[in-house]
Amino acid sequence: MKQIRKIGFWFLVLFLLILICLPGIWIFVSAFRPNPEILSKPANWIPDRWTIHQFTQMFSINGYVSVPAFKYLMNSVIISSVSTVIAITIGMMGGYAFARFNFRGKNSIFLSLMLARAVPGISLSLPLFILFAKLGIINTSFGVILVYVAMNVPFTIWLTDGFFRQIPKEMSEVARTDGCTRLQAFWNVELPLAGPGIGAAAIFAFLLSWNEYALASIITRTVHSKTLPIGMMDYLDEFTINWAGMCAIAVVMIVPALVLTFIVQKHLVSGLTFGGVKG
Amino acid sequence: MAKVELKNITKKYGEVIAVQNMNLTISDNEFLVLVGPSGCGKSTTLRMIAGLEDISGGDIYIGDQLVNDKDPKDRNVSMVFQNYALYPHMTVEENLGFSLKIAKVEKEEIEKRVKDAVLILGLDDLRKRKPSQLSGGQRQRVAMGRAIVRRPDAFLFDEPLSNLDAKLRTQMRTEIKKLHQTLKTTIIYVTHDQVEAMTLADRIIIMKDGYIEQIGSPIEVFTKPANIFVATFIGSPPMNIIEGDLIKKENKLIIKIDDEINLECPQKIQSSLDNKNKIYLGIRAEDIMPKESNDNPSNNWCFQKSINLAEPLGTETQLFFTIKNKEIISRMYNPKDVKVGDKIDFQIDPNKVHFFDAETEKAIF
Repeated sequence: MKQIRKIGFWFLVLFLLILICLPGIWIFVSAFRPNPEILSKPANWIPDRWTIHQFTQMFSINGYVSVPAFKYLMNSVIISSVSTVIAITIGMMGGYAFARFNFRGKNSIFLSLMLARAVPGISLSLPLFILFAKLGIINTSFGVILVYVAMNVPFTIWLTDGFFRQIPKEMSEVARTDGCTRLQAFWNVELPLAGPGIGAAAIFAFLLSWNEYALASIITRTVHSKTLPIGMMDYLDEFTINWAGMCAIAVVMIVPALVLTFIVQKHLVSGLTFGGVKG
Repeated sequence: MAKVELKNITKKYGEVIAVQNMNLTISDNEFLVLVGPSGCGKSTTLRMIAGLEDISGGDIYIGDQLVNDKDPKDRNVSMVFQNYALYPHMTVEENLGFSLKIAKVEKEEIEKRVKDAVLILGLDDLRKRKPSQLSGGQRQRVAMGRAIVRRPDAFLFDEPLSNLDAKLRTQMRTEIKKLHQTLKTTIIYVTHDQVEAMTLADRIIIMKDGYIEQIGSPIEVFTKPANIFVATFIGSPPMNIIEGDLIKKENKLIIKIDDEINLECPQKIQSSLDNKNKIYLGIRAEDIMPKESNDNPSNNWCFQKSINLAEPLGTETQLFFTIKNKEIISRMYNPKDVKVGDKIDFQIDPNKVHFFDAETEKAIF
């Protein structure tokens, strides 16, 4: 009886797992088959014909480009990487300051940073659009990077603050009596110790930028500035939708996200818990 | 090696005073121990010397240099922390050589000095290990080694043995003492353990609430405590403090402890007791001796009490009884069976009794 219940439980888990993964599996499968087959009714779960047509077209191997997906991919890589590097640099310094120093208004500044993160991004889209249009940085990678940095800094501060707090302050003190300046103590002792945590924060910031759609859709309209999620909309024509192309671009987007999440998951959970406990 | 001088050092945290007007000269090669209960300002003083804590007032000199505004790195002192604070991402060797690497000392020189330290501290087999692979005692040794290789003007120890178990603590205590004798350097050592203070120090400073209560050699602070606080802090078990009323009787000054115990006040302190009607007596447990024979040295104070508790420790038995509802401890060095309720005759040599003013709690000599 116990055995049956156990097997039943695992079947339930498997069923739920498949249910949750179903959209992802559908996208993955659809990326490798022609568009008409996707639309066939009843749904055809296993493709009759596997093809990498969408991918070859996307990366213009055949010389014909309907959607400049490779350009979008490069935009995404550049925007996400640059914004991550800047955000993690600022966030790391901010997190260190919050973890190590006492200054006037420390708690209120920390709280307001966190509150800034709580504002729904989409509510900023109109003011951002107007501001960026006036400044002339609309449709530029720079503009998007700026937005993503602002979006990620509070989060990276929150995470790295937790990681630095975990390192006993005697570490930097002993380094300083060992002849280090504060900066040397940070660089040689505290940073290597907080390294895994900071790496996790960086990957998280990267993923947020990589997946962001709402704001980018407002401030990027040209091939030179669109990121992959926005580029996906190029497959929407007036009368047709290229589902296969969209799914292919989605796969291209998902793969790095999946790999990075896999690397970071352990640290991410601990990072979030530090922050949570700190209060 | 250098002397360290503190002049009118004060440290305030907002309204709270951690250290008040401290004046102190620690001479070259001296082993000085700062001891006191938690929150007495001893660690703060050490951290101010290290430069890890700003000073609110006064001057600190290391050697002949004023170091008030100098960074810790420019003070040439080494500090050993309670939790060791070894760099977890470096091997023992790298931990030891780190300060020299930062100071851009040549590689051969670093190797030589690390080797010396490793030999002094018996860490030779552990050179390639990370701190997480070391035991508590080994970690403590590495922490000391890290301080040694710098060849600092002064070593600062902040409760370095508190995280070790009792046996290891005794062992490391001896090692620190030996280290001092080998290196012949100035050491400032903070502890709350009076045994550590007594065994290690050339000179002890007893602190309380940011003030220095007494400075002196271990024997001095033990035999001549300046006040009740020092008297009860130094020595184990703590000194017995008994309150007595001063009564004049037929031109004699009598100290009345309770209805049964009336003691004659020694001549030498009588002049200090004019117009006073109360006094505190401080008597160490070993000075309240159970009488072993009937002969009664005429100058000794004698009384009889019934025993509340007897703790045999092998070489001695500690006897507990009460005077005026206060627990008093006596040491019996020739242990015999004592049962609860037994009446025991005690004698006290008045020359070994410490007298303290009832108002100021300061010693009357």
